Formats: sequence, structure tokens, C-alpha cells
Amino acid sequence: MLIVVVAILAVAPLVFLLLKRSGASDLWMAELWARWKSWLIMAPLFVVPLLLGRVATITAVTLLGLACFYEFSRATGLFRDRLLCWIVLLGIGLIGFAALDNDYGLFVAVGPLIIPMIALAALQPDRPAGYLQRVALAALAFLFFGVGLGHLGYFANDRLYQPLLLLILLCTELNDVAAYVFGKIFKGPKMAPNTSPNKTVSGAVLSMLTVATLFAVLAAPIFAGSALSHPFHLAVMGLLLVITAQFGDLVISSVKRDLGLKDMGSIIPGHGGLLDRFDSLLFVGPALFHYIGYIQGGIGLDMPVNLIRGG
Amino acid sequence: MPQDPWQYRPAGDFDLPPSQRTRSTRREAGFFSGLMQMSVLGMASTWLRVAHRLQVDGVERLPKTGAFVIIANHSSHLDLFVLLASLPWRRRGCATAVSAGDTFFSGPVRAWASAHMLNVLPLWRRGATGGALSDFRARLCGREEILVIFPEGTRSRTGAMAGFKPGLGRLVAGTSVPVVPCFIEGAHAALPPGKRLPALRPLRVKIGVAIDFAHCEDGKTAWLEIAATCENAVRQLMK
Repeated sequence: MLIVVVAILAVAPLVFLLLKRSGASDLWMAELWARWKSWLIMAPLFVVPLLLGRVATITAVTLLGLACFYEFSRATGLFRDRLLCWIVLLGIGLIGFAALDNDYGLFVAVGPLIIPMIALAALQPDRPAGYLQRVALAALAFLFFGVGLGHLGYFANDRLYQPLLLLILLCTELNDVAAYVFGKIFKGPKMAPNTSPNKTVSGAVLSMLTVATLFAVLAAPIFAGSALSHPFHLAVMGLLLVITAQFGDLVISSVKRDLGLKDMGSIIPGHGGLLDRFDSLLFVGPALFHYIGYIQGGIGLDMPVNLIRGG
Repeated sequence: MPQDPWQYRPAGDFDLPPSQRTRSTRREAGFFSGLMQMSVLGMASTWLRVAHRLQVDGVERLPKTGAFVIIANHSSHLDLFVLLASLPWRRRGCATAVSAGDTFFSGPVRAWASAHMLNVLPLWRRGATGGALSDFRARLCGREEILVIFPEGTRSRTGAMAGFKPGLGRLVAGTSVPVVPCFIEGAHAALPPGKRLPALRPLRVKIGVAIDFAHCEDGKTAWLEIAATCENAVRQLMK
């Protein structure tokens, strides 16, 4: 799996040169190079924690959630309600702790506990104007960056998490790139012109079919011998991944359009903020996590639990 | 019929990369720097009240809501902490101070500490233009912002108050943002410019009645007039 990642990054410049030969515009080429350079930095940030092990993986996902929440709060203005922000941070931290502890009970409990805390804390300034907006923004942020991303971290409690998570990350990001490239090549009706003007229906469908197939093919050896190795389940997982990835992208695009912003930040050159790059990951985790859990039995249940607290 | 859209206000420095954020006059503290500022301020405030027996007169005269400018005589680095410690707890998080860019933002470490631990904004004494002041003016419009300003422009070396600079007028002329004059007593004796450690002398701050300059037209005569009025108000508090 690792070889695939390295190979893709190595082959990309050749593809760029071919595209240039076939008459791609300079502007587009410059953008492609900028994206490729960012991936050279971001790919190790994904891969190194995965290679380091369970604790590093969960920590990295939790930090990613915190960073995404930081961007979201600055963009929406939620950061001015400091108490709410601290509660969301607490929630994201607790989700990370539950994953580290392999305590599924706590992992599930954080949501129902944090959301009422947000509703309660939002009463604090005794200022009913904007109450719903504060609560909604904080609750949504917790669900996206705590619960949504947290499921990716919880995957690390599975025996097979290393190839599986790497495959999920690879396919999600490939789906992004493929939708972008196919969208440029195949013109046609737009998918959602007001939300995401670059996405065409044909580009999206093509990239989804390609990446779903790739996922199914590469996932087959990972799940060999288990109930999930049936081609039907492999295909369903591939489709779940590409559909939720596409949704994540559209959701964050919608957020940006609603806020009237072009990017969610300016941390990664060529990509904008962290959220602009990791938007498609938000919903992939929960969908695959629960599908795998439903068919095969819960993730992490066959591993020792309460690793930190002791059991 | 779909619902009306919500009103969002992204951070003022949202579009700036992290490197430029520190020195930006549009900077707004996030939750991490906010926590640092609150701890620094909490410690400073405790120190002032215990070691310097800080006495605050006229807290009830501070506007309860909305933006305002708070001004005072300036003769010590303690002045900023004295004014911030006089504000009610709930509103300290909204307070920023205008400071000399060439002193507080001279190196990267110092700039970082000034920005994220003290929440002060830089005003470059050399080559300061109306553009810099208009950023501050924009901050005050339609917010809960509290801006601490020392209109003398520098710390007094003798302890005697110097004349106020008209830049203060540029911030508030023609706006409904009130100016709260204050007089700080004892700060020069406790920590004059050039000394590193404060002497444990008593401190006292008198808060005056807020002055409104909404009736003034934004122009040079008005700026000078506002500076003179404010200077006079602070001098009245000395008595």
C-alpha cells in the first residue's frame, strides 16, 4: 500500500508533462505543481503516524480535528464565544482519549454529553440573540471534527488498521484529485454550479467509479478470509467511500459559499486551509466504520479495552 | 420560503497567514491566546491588588456594553496592567491596547509575546499614517471592543503628564464610541522608565465620566479639540 502512495507521487510529474504536451494551460499547470508540492509534504504527515503505530495515529487524527476546528471557528466567528470553543475542544479531546483507551462506551457517550453542555454553556452571557446560531455552530463543529474525524482515529484499534486506514486516506484524496482532473477534461452539465463551480456530473461519476473500483481491488487482500471479502461488500464499501467523500467536499464548499470565503485558511500553499484539503474525510470514517462493524463485528472489540484506565 | 441567512463575522485577520497575523492591527485573539492573556492578566491583577494595594475608584462609570476607548496618563509599564485590572472580569477578554510598534514588536519573540500574551496592537511611531489609525477606528465600530490608549504617545520620564496627541481624535471623532478618562497615581514611583523591578508602592486609579464625541466632525480642528478635551478631563481627575 505504501508503495502505491510513493508510486503515485513519483509518477505525477510525468503525467503533468504529458498534459503540458497535450496543450494544458500554464495557469492550470502551475496549480497542479503547487498541489503536487503540498502533497509531498502532506503525504508523510499521513503516513509517518500510521507507521509509528496506534497511539501516534489517534493523536494525529485528534490534532487534525483540533486544527480543523480552529479554522472553522475563525471562519464562522464562533471563536468569540470562548467557553463554547473550550467545550468543543474538550469534546474532541475526549473522543481522542476514548479512542486511545479503546473504550467504545465512552466514545459513544461523548456526543450525548457534549451537545447538551454546549446548549447549556451558550446560555452563559444571558444574551438570547444568536443563541441558536452559537449552539448550532458549536454542535456542528463537534460532530464534524470530533465525531466524524474521530471515527478515523478509532479505526486504529482494529488489527488491520495500518493498510486499511492508508487505503481509506489514499482513495479519499485520490477521489478529490480525480474529480478535479476529470472535471477539467470532461465538460458537461455541472453537478452543483452554485456550490462547487468546477464539478461536472461526468467528472464526478467517472472519478467515483474509478476510485470505488480501485478501493475494492486493493481492499480485497486486506479483508481476505473475513465476511467482508465478498465482492458485494467490497463494492458497497468502495461506493460508500466515494459518495461520502464527495459529500464532505460539497458540505465544506457550501459552508465556504455561505460565509462568503474562498478558502478556510492559508496554512497550506496551493490548497488554502487544512479544511479545504481534508473536507472529504469528514464523513468517510463513520460510514465505513459502521458498515465494517455491522458486517464483521465491532472494530476494536477483539482487542484489549481500557488500555489507559486499566480494566 | 427559505429562511433569512445568519450573520457571520469571520476573524478580522482571517485572510492573513500566521506569520503576518502577529503584527496585524486587525488581529483578534483566538481561544489559545485568549487563555494565555487571561492567565497573564489574572496574575498581574492579583499582584497589583496584593503587592501594590491597587485601589480603583469609579468602576461604575465604565460603560456597561458596547465599544469604548479608555485613556490615561502614562509613566510606567504598570499602567497597562492597572487599566486592564480595573475592568470587570467579563470584559477583559475584549480589551486590546495600542502600543509602540518599535518597542513591543521589535523582534519575533517579543512580537509574539506582545501579540499573544498581552494582546496589544502595534502602532509604528515613525511613519505612522492615517491608514494605521483607520484600522483601529474600524475595530471600534459596532463591537464590544475596549481599546486602551495612552495619548501622550510615550511614557513620561519625569512623572508629569505631557500634552495629548491628536491621533486619539482621529479614532473617535464623529462616532458614538465614548472615551473614558482615567488618572493613574503612583505608577511612576513604583516603576519609572528605566527600572526593571517594581517597588511595592501603592497604586490608585480614578475613572472619570465617559465623554462622547459624536457631535464632532471628522477633521483636523476636531481632532485637536478632542485631544485637548480629553487631556483636560484627565487633569481634572488629578485634583
